[in-house]
Amino acid sequence: MKKITREDLDKIAAKPVSPAVNYIRVGMSTCGIAAGADEVLATLIEEAKKRNIRIDIKKCGCVGMCFAEPLVEVAVEGLPPVIYGKVNKEIAAKIMEKHVAGKILVNEYIFDLKVKE
Amino acid sequence: MYNKTILIKDTNINAEDRTKNYYSLVLNSLREFNLHNEVQVVRAADIGVYNHGVVIKILPDVIYQEVKETDIPRIVEATVKADKVLDDLVLKKEPKQQRIVLRNCGKIDPESLEEYLAAGGYQALKKVIFEMNPEKVLEEMKKSGLRGRGGAGYPTWMKWKFTRAVPADQKFVICNADEGDPGAYMDRSVLEGDPHSVLEGLMISAYTIGASKGYFYIRAEYPLAVERVKIALAQAYDAGLLGKNILGSEFSFDIDIRLGAGAFVCGEETALIASIEGKRGTPRPRPPYPSVKGLWNKPTAINNVETLANISPIIVRGGDWFASIGTATSKGTKVFAVTGKVKNSGLVEVPMGITIREIVFDICGGTISGKALKAIQTGGPSGGVIPAEFLDTPVDYENLQKLGSIMGSGGMIVMDEDDCLVDIAKFYLGFCVEESCGKCAPCRIGGYQMLQILNRITEGKGKLEDLAQLKRISFAMQKASLCGLGQTAANPVISTTRYFDYEYKEHILEKKCRSGKCSHLANYTIIQERCKKCGMCQKNCPAGAIPGSREEGYLIKQEKCVKCGQCFEVCKFKAIKKE
Repeated sequence: MKKITREDLDKIAAKPVSPAVNYIRVGMSTCGIAAGADEVLATLIEEAKKRNIRIDIKKCGCVGMCFAEPLVEVAVEGLPPVIYGKVNKEIAAKIMEKHVAGKILVNEYIFDLKVKE
Repeated sequence: MYNKTILIKDTNINAEDRTKNYYSLVLNSLREFNLHNEVQVVRAADIGVYNHGVVIKILPDVIYQEVKETDIPRIVEATVKADKVLDDLVLKKEPKQQRIVLRNCGKIDPESLEEYLAAGGYQALKKVIFEMNPEKVLEEMKKSGLRGRGGAGYPTWMKWKFTRAVPADQKFVICNADEGDPGAYMDRSVLEGDPHSVLEGLMISAYTIGASKGYFYIRAEYPLAVERVKIALAQAYDAGLLGKNILGSEFSFDIDIRLGAGAFVCGEETALIASIEGKRGTPRPRPPYPSVKGLWNKPTAINNVETLANISPIIVRGGDWFASIGTATSKGTKVFAVTGKVKNSGLVEVPMGITIREIVFDICGGTISGKALKAIQTGGPSGGVIPAEFLDTPVDYENLQKLGSIMGSGGMIVMDEDDCLVDIAKFYLGFCVEESCGKCAPCRIGGYQMLQILNRITEGKGKLEDLAQLKRISFAMQKASLCGLGQTAANPVISTTRYFDYEYKEHILEKKCRSGKCSHLANYTIIQERCKKCGMCQKNCPAGAIPGSREEGYLIKQEKCVKCGQCFEVCKFKAIKKE
């Protein structure tokens, strides 16, 4: 990897952060993995491939809602970003099919909790 | 395509769930206003509000509480159609959580340096190296009022200042990630979710005190955290953020990882140092403090994971900003791991000064059973219990200490009516007895003796004199133990005897445990109507106290029963009554 210089950091600081769209994040800390986030992540990647959907599927740490793991945050254009909790393989497939492809939120699995930045 | 979203959730847990009913009512109403193609309605699993009837939320931020069926048409007409807020229904809800330590957790990929950089990472390091000097950093840290998040609450800037002031050819910094309190896992989450932020904090502390070498001391029970820190270190070395001449400056710094083998006492700083040196992990008397004679007898600054994660925001946004959050003596935020009998267990980061009630009821949704809350345990085995009547106490270092508990690393265990406080005290003391390194007598012998007494009390063999004896031994342990483990090991006993004296007395005098936790004090009988005559209880009874046969049924002979509770555990039909 290229060495990072002071100027590189200046450049990053000067660049305004554009809010990301079209991504899925799966909570992959110990709490998430223990609840089955591995499987959920694999299902999401597989379903995206199957349906030929191009979306950034990434892992992230724990947001703190450990009671609702595995957590999947979905942001697609035209819909508010939401966090799904207690996701399993079936729900992961449903999220891909309904939310990402069909632009309809999935019932019963949204955990809507707000924190101050 | 929809351009508006409505979330619905019935937040009364003990009543019938009306969510589906309201869902169709809202859909019908939308149809009447011909909005059903523009607005989508979704049933949520959790809407962030608890015990406020049916809650309807129109994204992004209008929340209506206690909604009646008759309110639905006017909500749709006013808010959905015309964006007007109905003042009589609206719930004004400022978010209670504020994230500084967990700012990136759950938002960035912990294994990607690019994402950390994009989120403002290493800007603080740059600022420290090129725009500030160590004195300025200390000044900023002093302004911020940040205190150590490991438990004792020692001002971070003072620790750094002392370490900086000692002349030495080599100094060290250590990140203490030996988190061992039962039920606490804040540090693990930060290391797993945002390892670079801790790394950056450690680098800034090294720059400030003039250290050239640092260690992450992580317990081996956290393999994922270890792996992610390893990845972060490799990335930082690759990118020139670690090693020689960082960012082209004069500052050079190296970091290694050391794994703890799981001894609780190794979270104590002198024991931790011994462990890194390859010796047996036992504490030594202080002074000299590690800031004077630490690792390999060199000046060493040891900071907790959460403390270090606070550093970069303080540098970037200034000490005054940090000091504006929190109370007079405790600044900033604190991450708590709320566990036990609570509805939403997990991590919460709240500004200091918030009440325990707000944390447990507003953020975490109250007890999971809906039963009354009995007490909160904070600070792990070194802390104490806080009974329900003090729920409105603002949380900070001093207030918790006044109540006989401590802030500790941030474990918060919620207990309801089904928990026996004598049993809880026994559990925590048992933990400390197990983890005592055995070096000093007050901790080694005192802890064991106290545990014997508590065992007697929970078995119904306690005497009233035992309470005085517990107090005497607690006092001796507090005064004479070598390190924090022994000095605080008696705290759970002291605080439970202080607030729940009547429970101890019930155990001793009436041989009764009101929560039914202490199996030795319970009476077991068979409920004949429920009994399916399977014989499991007879098979498992170690005392032969359950005569009978599969034809005639069974009976527990009270005079033979040893109250082990085996029959109660194995009965599949809940036909054994425990009282």
